[in-house]
Amino acid sequence: MLQVQNIEKYYGSKNNVTKALDRVSFEVADGEFVAIMGASGSGKTTLLNCISTIDTVSAGKILMDGEDVAGLSEDVLAKFRRERLGFVFQDFNLLDTLTVEENIGLALSLNHVGAQTVQGRVREVAEKLGITEILSKFPYQVSGGQKQRTACARAIVAGQSLLLADEPTGALDSKASKNLLEIMSAMNRDMRATILMVTHDAYSASYAGRVLFLKDGRVFNELLRGDRGRSVFYHEILDVLAALGGDVSDIL
Amino acid sequence: MTYFKLSMRNAGRQARDYLVYFVTMVLAAALLFAFNALAVSGEVLALTEISESFSLMIVLASLAVVCVFGWLAAYSTRFMLSRRSRELGIYLLSGLTGRQVARLFFLENLAVGAVALVLGTGLGGLLYQVMRAIVMAMFAQPYRFALEFSLAALGRTALYFALIYLFALGRSRRHIRRMKIYDLIYFERQNEGVILQKGKTRRLVFGVSLALGAVGTCLLMRKSLYIALAGAFCAILALFGFFLSFASGVPAFFERRPARKYRGQTLLIFRGLTAKLASMGVLMAVLSIVFTATLISEGSSSVLYGIMKGRTAEAACFDLYIGIEGGQPDPEPYLTYIRENIPVERELLYSVCLTGKTQVQDYLEGAYYNNGYDSDPVLCWSDYAALRALAGYPAVEPPGSGQFLIHCMSYLAGPLGKYQEALLVGETALSPGGIYTEHLSQSYGTANGRGYILVVPDRAAEGLPVHHIAYAAKTARPVTTAQYEALADLARAERDRQEDPSGYVFVLSKAYEETEVAAQAVVGCFPLYYLALALMMTAVTILTIQQLSETEHYRSQFALLRKLGMDRREMARALGSQFALYYTLPAVPAVLIAGSFIVHLAMMPEPGVMVGLNSPAVIVMISLGAFFLIYAIYILLAYTSLKRNVLPK
Repeated sequence: MLQVQNIEKYYGSKNNVTKALDRVSFEVADGEFVAIMGASGSGKTTLLNCISTIDTVSAGKILMDGEDVAGLSEDVLAKFRRERLGFVFQDFNLLDTLTVEENIGLALSLNHVGAQTVQGRVREVAEKLGITEILSKFPYQVSGGQKQRTACARAIVAGQSLLLADEPTGALDSKASKNLLEIMSAMNRDMRATILMVTHDAYSASYAGRVLFLKDGRVFNELLRGDRGRSVFYHEILDVLAALGGDVSDIL
Repeated sequence: MTYFKLSMRNAGRQARDYLVYFVTMVLAAALLFAFNALAVSGEVLALTEISESFSLMIVLASLAVVCVFGWLAAYSTRFMLSRRSRELGIYLLSGLTGRQVARLFFLENLAVGAVALVLGTGLGGLLYQVMRAIVMAMFAQPYRFALEFSLAALGRTALYFALIYLFALGRSRRHIRRMKIYDLIYFERQNEGVILQKGKTRRLVFGVSLALGAVGTCLLMRKSLYIALAGAFCAILALFGFFLSFASGVPAFFERRPARKYRGQTLLIFRGLTAKLASMGVLMAVLSIVFTATLISEGSSSVLYGIMKGRTAEAACFDLYIGIEGGQPDPEPYLTYIRENIPVERELLYSVCLTGKTQVQDYLEGAYYNNGYDSDPVLCWSDYAALRALAGYPAVEPPGSGQFLIHCMSYLAGPLGKYQEALLVGETALSPGGIYTEHLSQSYGTANGRGYILVVPDRAAEGLPVHHIAYAAKTARPVTTAQYEALADLARAERDRQEDPSGYVFVLSKAYEETEVAAQAVVGCFPLYYLALALMMTAVTILTIQQLSETEHYRSQFALLRKLGMDRREMARALGSQFALYYTLPAVPAVLIAGSFIVHLAMMPEPGVMVGLNSPAVIVMISLGAFFLIYAIYILLAYTSLKRNVLPK
């Protein structure tokens, strides 16, 4: 589904260039749950922004179902984002003037889905994510975990093929985090949602099927969960983080 | 850093962040200065006696304007206070006392006010020149640009400005000194509380207010003043009800029609708008009422000017006109005075006769508001042709030997144009031969008919009874006020000399009447426009401050929408629609209410006055045009600024 080929990203002017991404390459298959880990400044958010077409790469290619997103015009990119990508952000990014139902329906509305079918689709996804009860509430009336589930619902309601999550548990307590991660796993398992999640939390990453480790803008390591239990995988992730050389507590 | 330096730095930031408010205060100073400079200008006051009351009217209007701008300053400083409450709270946290923070804020606002006053006075000097040129043109006097600076006007402006700022700052100063650190730091949280309020009552109020608004507008269309007042009352109630309940009324509407909210950009537009209006319902209603007052001020001013202008245009179409009524009318004393004092190019002494029948009057029954004659008035053709030449109108074909012409005021052209019956004038039978509607001094009894006059061949007019004799002249120079008054005194003296003073002498001078109109317009209309401008600028500034304060909110909203795949054109459309609705909401009720009122007002004078450029439709269009011109300038500035700042590049 997603192929990232030797992408590079530079910031700054001639005399002061910062390399945020350095020849990063990897692939994400259809229905996969991939986590990208790294310390602050390792380039993981830059990578996510480039994949989500919000930012452009300085070199290399990002192919989505074989199509190079770099060659697309702004209009086509907008269409691409609303039809193919779903977003879940650390700070939820829900519109506080819309109800939960409307926040989810917004993704369909932007895709010009017929007004009659929006409600049915929203209700269907809300049931799967367990937020039917709060559909008529505004974001300020629901908990952080519920907000994030709303964001997840918005990210998949329009049939988007790739869900990009940027620190989705960053603003949640441990219980809400666990709940959200289980929901994301279920979305991946039961609804065949492809998920690419950026996180610096080993516990969150342990829910993924594969973890890519970034350091100084380069892919440092890759860890596959395979048939191992989540707890074992979690400890393996911690080991890799220790091997990354940084202080584990910095990124936990 | 001293308090003073910090205050000055904050003042600069305030002028940038609240540029619209700052610009309005500069314009406020300019308005105050320009109108007051006009009111103390020796040149203007020397134009006519009535202008002495102009000075008083400007003082009264200025006091009203001070209240209006005082409200704007008080509202804006309170608004800034709410937006910067956290910053002020941090000053307190850093160890400053409430008194010191209040002084900081006071100094900052005083500095902004002082700069606005200086800039406004400069701009006001230019505005004064424009207004001076207008006044001189109205009085048909030559205008010469002269750099002059009135210390008296500056003193008044500074005093008014001080009143505006001291009122506003006094309130905020008390407010800051009373507030606790917690209140300041969590001030925004207090605002949020208002947004949460909703309920069934609001939905009920929404429905009732819509019904009340419709009833009120219908009542305003009625011609009875009392019913119209009841309509205005209903409309004001409806405005408060509508804006207080809008935030819950619209969601209630969409709850019943859930599919409609997902059509196009409805969801974003209406939710954004209702969220904004939820916390400013009362303000929106007040602004809508202020807009209504603005339009009514403008419209009343135009109607007033239209009445004066319309009446004068009809009555005073000759340089000099004298109508002499009575058993034995004697024009000689007037003619003697004229020969000795007024250089005349051409003149005509003639008789206005009567047919002795009321055939045309009867035909006009219903359309003709006040006949003023016992029977149909008549002019002979040769006098009519000479009068046309005196008034400067093109010559027309004389009526055929068996025909008569009609010269009437334009409002009678419709019915009289259809008049087909033959007339018997004296012994001569005449049929209709044409109709003319130029101004011919036809609005008074001792004039050329009242509303209409029949023009018959000279032979047919012979022997008809005379209603009054009249004198009309084209003078070499405009008749002066002194000459006019001398003739008017003569008329009074002649009347006093009569044993049985049943006759009436009517003296009209075009120059004198036009001066009177100009004087009354300056005294009556200028202060109304002055007030209207202040009201308009205040209301639209408050609306704009409210809208621009949402810049951060819009920016994050559109950043998210971009991520979700909304393209820039759609974002611009959504922002534009939201913007248009936000500014349309308070303006629509104002246009409906004030428009009906102005039309009603413009239809009140006698027929034939509010015609042509003074017709109700034209007056409403001019009032709305002036209103929307200023409105559009503010909207355009706000929209451009917001679009540039909130839409992703």
